[in-house]
This record gives sequence, C-alpha cells and structure tokens, in this order.
Amino acid sequence: MKHVVKILSLLVAVSAFWIVLLQAAIVPQSHTLLLPIYFVVSLGCYGLLMVGIGIMQFPTCPQEAVLLNHVLSLPSFFLSYVVNIKSFLLTCFSCVLQDIAEAKDFLSTNGIDIGTY
Amino acid sequence: MELADRAVGLLLSSISLSIFTYYTFWVIILPFVDSDHFIHKYFLPQDYAILLPVFAGVTLLSLLSVFIGMVMLKSKKKKA
Repeated sequence: MKHVVKILSLLVAVSAFWIVLLQAAIVPQSHTLLLPIYFVVSLGCYGLLMVGIGIMQFPTCPQEAVLLNHVLSLPSFFLSYVVNIKSFLLTCFSCVLQDIAEAKDFLSTNGIDIGTY
Repeated sequence: MELADRAVGLLLSSISLSIFTYYTFWVIILPFVDSDHFIHKYFLPQDYAILLPVFAGVTLLSLLSVFIGMVMLKSKKKKA
C-alpha cells in the first residue's frame, strides 16, 4: 500500500509540474505538450538499458556447470532419480489404490466380479 | 556462452542509448535551434516525434493482446 501511495504521489507531482509549466509559458506550449511522451519513451529506453546491462553482467558459473554435468552423466543418479519418482508416486496414490482394493472386495462379496487389470 | 551474452547485452544497450539521444535531440534541443541550421536535415519533421512512439506503443499493445488471446484459446481447446 505504501508503494502505491509513493508512486501515486510521484505521478501527481510530475503532472502538477507539467501543468505549471504549461500555464507559465516559459517554454512555448507546443514544446511543453511533448514532455509526457518524452518521459514515457525515456522510461522505455531506461528499461531496455537495464536489461542490456543485466544480460552483460549475468554470471555463467562455469564450475557449477561442470559439476552438474558430471553428476547428470552418472547412470546411478538417473536410476535413483527414476526409482525415487516411482516410490513417491506410489506413496501418493497408495490411498487411492487401497480404496480400489476395498471397492473390489466389497463388490466381489456382493457377487460382482471386477476383472484384474 | 558468455561472449554471445555480452554481445547481445551490448547491442541492446547501444540501441537503447542511441534511441534515447536521438529522441532527446529531436524533442528538447531541436526546437531551440534556428530553422535554417544544417542539423534539421538529419531529423524527421517534428510531427513524427509524436506519431512514432504512439504507433510503437499501439503495436506493442495489440501484439500483447493477440498473444494473450491465442494462449487463452489454446488453453480452452485443451480443456475441451
């Protein structure tokens, strides 16, 4: 909320300054009317500049990349990853599997046979 | 690759800086220069100083809305 108030007050101050400039006619009016567009364009340019500088300074972490490649190339890592996924999924759906088993038992006791899958 | 990243970043920064300087000259400095100065040759008429950013902004907004609309349609198709 505080941020919104800050931004709104900044906007109000800038527009008040602009209206004062328009009324005072220190600079020709046609000139002053272009100011908001100028500020929007400069804001866009500033954003692009920050993005460009960020891209230039982004670190690539070469040591960590080597380590990660080494770890991923090991087959045991991949297999353990797959086994972990399987066990995780089994624990997630164990309740569902149990419900299915119970439903099957109930229905078979009542004379309805559901084939195995 | 680091070099490609730095090249892209440098290109982007230089483009933004050049656009900023050209636009600053166009809007702020040029109206105070005499109309028979040679520098007016290198700048488009002042009307384009409003038209070009507005046109670019409208294009950006319409492209964004088209993109959002396509994403929404795709997600709806997947659901159905």
